[in-house]
Amino acid sequence: MTEGITDLIKYTSSGLYCEVADVWIDPNKPVKRAIITHAHMDHFTLGCNEYISTYETAVIIKERIGKEINIKTYDYEKEFKINGIKISFHPSGHILGSSQIKFSFAEEIWLITGDYKRQKDETCKEYEIVKTDYLISESTFGLPIFKWDEPQKTATDITKWVNSSQEKTSILFCYSLGKAQRLLNEISKTNFINNIYTHSSIYRMNNCYKKLGIDILETKKLEQTKNNTDFKGSLILLPPALNKSSSLKNFKDIQTGFASGWMSIRALRKRSGYDKGFSISDHADWIAILRTIKESKAKNVFFHHGDSESLNKYLKEKNSINVLEFEYKK
Amino acid sequence: MSLKKFSELFIDLDSCNSKNKKIGILQNYFYSNEALENSWTIYLLTGKKNKRFISGRSLKSLFSEIYEYPLWLIDSCYLKVGDSAEVITLLLRNMIPGKNIKYQDVSLDELLNKSFPELSILKEDDKKLRVKEIWENIPIENLLVINKILTGTFRVGVSIGLITKSIAKLINLDEAIISHRLMGDFIPSEESYKLLIDKKINPSELNYKPYPFLLANTFEKRIIDKSINDFQFEWKWDGIRIQLIKRSGKVSIWTRGQDLVNKSFPELVEQISSIKDNFVIDGELLVWDFKQNLPLNFSLLQKRMNRKAPSRSIQKSLPIIFIAYDLLEINGEDQRDSILEIRRNTLEKHLYNWLSESKEELSNIFKISDLIYPKNWEEVETFKKNSRDNGTEGLVIKNKKSIYTPGRKKGLWWKYKVDPMQLDAVLIYAKGGSGIRAGLYTDYSFALWKDGELIKFASAYSGLNNTEIKELDRWIRKNTIERFGPVRSVRPEMVFEISFENIQISKRHKSGIAVRFPRITKWRKDKLIKDADTLENAQKLMLNK
Repeated sequence: MTEGITDLIKYTSSGLYCEVADVWIDPNKPVKRAIITHAHMDHFTLGCNEYISTYETAVIIKERIGKEINIKTYDYEKEFKINGIKISFHPSGHILGSSQIKFSFAEEIWLITGDYKRQKDETCKEYEIVKTDYLISESTFGLPIFKWDEPQKTATDITKWVNSSQEKTSILFCYSLGKAQRLLNEISKTNFINNIYTHSSIYRMNNCYKKLGIDILETKKLEQTKNNTDFKGSLILLPPALNKSSSLKNFKDIQTGFASGWMSIRALRKRSGYDKGFSISDHADWIAILRTIKESKAKNVFFHHGDSESLNKYLKEKNSINVLEFEYKK
Repeated sequence: MSLKKFSELFIDLDSCNSKNKKIGILQNYFYSNEALENSWTIYLLTGKKNKRFISGRSLKSLFSEIYEYPLWLIDSCYLKVGDSAEVITLLLRNMIPGKNIKYQDVSLDELLNKSFPELSILKEDDKKLRVKEIWENIPIENLLVINKILTGTFRVGVSIGLITKSIAKLINLDEAIISHRLMGDFIPSEESYKLLIDKKINPSELNYKPYPFLLANTFEKRIIDKSINDFQFEWKWDGIRIQLIKRSGKVSIWTRGQDLVNKSFPELVEQISSIKDNFVIDGELLVWDFKQNLPLNFSLLQKRMNRKAPSRSIQKSLPIIFIAYDLLEINGEDQRDSILEIRRNTLEKHLYNWLSESKEELSNIFKISDLIYPKNWEEVETFKKNSRDNGTEGLVIKNKKSIYTPGRKKGLWWKYKVDPMQLDAVLIYAKGGSGIRAGLYTDYSFALWKDGELIKFASAYSGLNNTEIKELDRWIRKNTIERFGPVRSVRPEMVFEISFENIQISKRHKSGIAVRFPRITKWRKDKLIKDADTLENAQKLMLNK
């Protein structure tokens, strides 16, 4: 904001911060009180005194870190108050439990989108359009070269890729939480006929989703297969951290793929060293970001995460909205 | 109809890291496709000189004008993508509506022979309309290929070697023949493809073509177990490797990069024409300093090469010589299956006759590679160490019993290069890479000390591994002082060992020196910038070489 005094949400070295409510949003350092938008580990830090999230996010986080934490949960749309500020969660369509966070204070609304997407995803609630005065949007893919294909097309490509190489073991790398479940859901709608194995980190998240009432395609846990299992023709889902690890040596004759929004760029695809890149993302692409700004009716917008330079300049040229940049404050 | 097929081939090849699989994919493609289309495919995949119908820059501005799209935004995207054709293809997806247009497949011949050449004669406005029409009438999944053909940037990791192998497999013929048939200019046509896959070998068909070159391997320690007498030793010249061909009285000069360069070196053509025999000789072209009897800098040779139809005065100020290495054909007889000893003998005998029968001018321009006779392997080391004294970059060691075969086969020839010169320099600028290195800072400039100031002396972009590139990229972003477009100046903190082959005085550079083949050989994290070399040290290298 120009005056710099009435900003309800500020950017600090620990992350986004609401001073009046004394609460951080997805802090990257331990703080007193943290609101968590979703359960990806780059949005969660251990050691805070108090956490607030949706129920689903809380369940997944506890499953991932394997211990109890002091976490309060609220349903979507349900308003709660901290220091007089009204706060509520709204679906962001990123992964199961992910949310936008709305802050209302003295007739002014601030909305933090968190990570979001506008595409269809049957494994989580669809993005909800929330009207706001101030919008803080993510901009991970803030360039017009990013335009996502229909997820069904990507899933069909994956199925084709596996089916046409029956003599090989197909290893697809993808994030264990969210991406893996979405892929399984989309693949189940294609004519996929072979076995699917999942790494324990993915298998655990599948179970977690099922527990929360989401239907997930049945897979075999990789760690429970016998030593002489023949993986020919099957699909194995692994987290990206295992690429080039020694565990890959256990498979003979493999082809590898990576499912990520970054894979729509040939240079990134080539550099990554995977045989094949499948472009699919749980973030908003350029058009979705612009659409979201418009639909939110926001008069002021900030960008957070990723490439915001081009978006800032583009919107300023269009003159349709007030683009603000965070002042960095400790 | 086959733009579609070619596009599928492109995607298949691009998402495949195995050589054998690529050969299989190509073989299938050639088998199932028409001859004319195959010939265009070979042209596109191997062509280093593909015609550029529209430059990357104009492709971007055409897009910007057609769709009223900000050019700066296209440029921002380019920094991430590194290829104009791909940027435009990705952006087109925002502009072109779904699948409601009746798409038609077209043949490569139609595109490359008709539609695209016609673009160049159109006025700007008509050109815009035509390009728009092309973009909007071709299925979106084929647009990348279209834009790449338009900008003449086809690189999918398919070398001429893979094409050769797949054709050889397809018709079950020796690779050497196919590789020979693909030498020189491959002009796409139904005939040229049919000739390529003809199982019958017509002895005269290859007449106007150079032979595939024999390439030297890097020196292997194990050969010193063998007797020194098994090998022939020569200097390794730093010029342009060429084949000098005289057949049916006509002279042609082909480079190893398969360019016909007769026009650049008319004096050589003239002198060679006076020889009575026909032949094919493998050798090296150099620009020569006759006073010092040493080769001149490689950049001067490039200058000569780029000058088509050089004037007399250029021919005089930058005189060239040809150094003969090997005799591949004499009066129509292929010599390549004879062993090196015999080929060398025949070469010497003929050269002696030619030089004694003709005017003095021929002996000025036409030399033979001098043999060196080290008595033992220790002496080989001494020769190598002193090779800079006569302007060479080391030795070439050849197995006396070897025959002349295409490519880099093991056990025939070795290059034994003198150790590079090295200086420790400070990183001062970084520039974004293009192509596969898009989005990363991979082009670096390095500086040396002079009176307490860092002076830029070389740029290099190879030598670091992928992990180091990523690490350095992160460091560069965090330590940027200033940005000028794609270039960043960075805090002088990082020291690198830079190796290079040669060092020369240069008036063009602020440092006053120019180095050849600079590359990074070590990231000297153990060194502080005050430990980096000075320009004085560089000058000392120049004097001592």
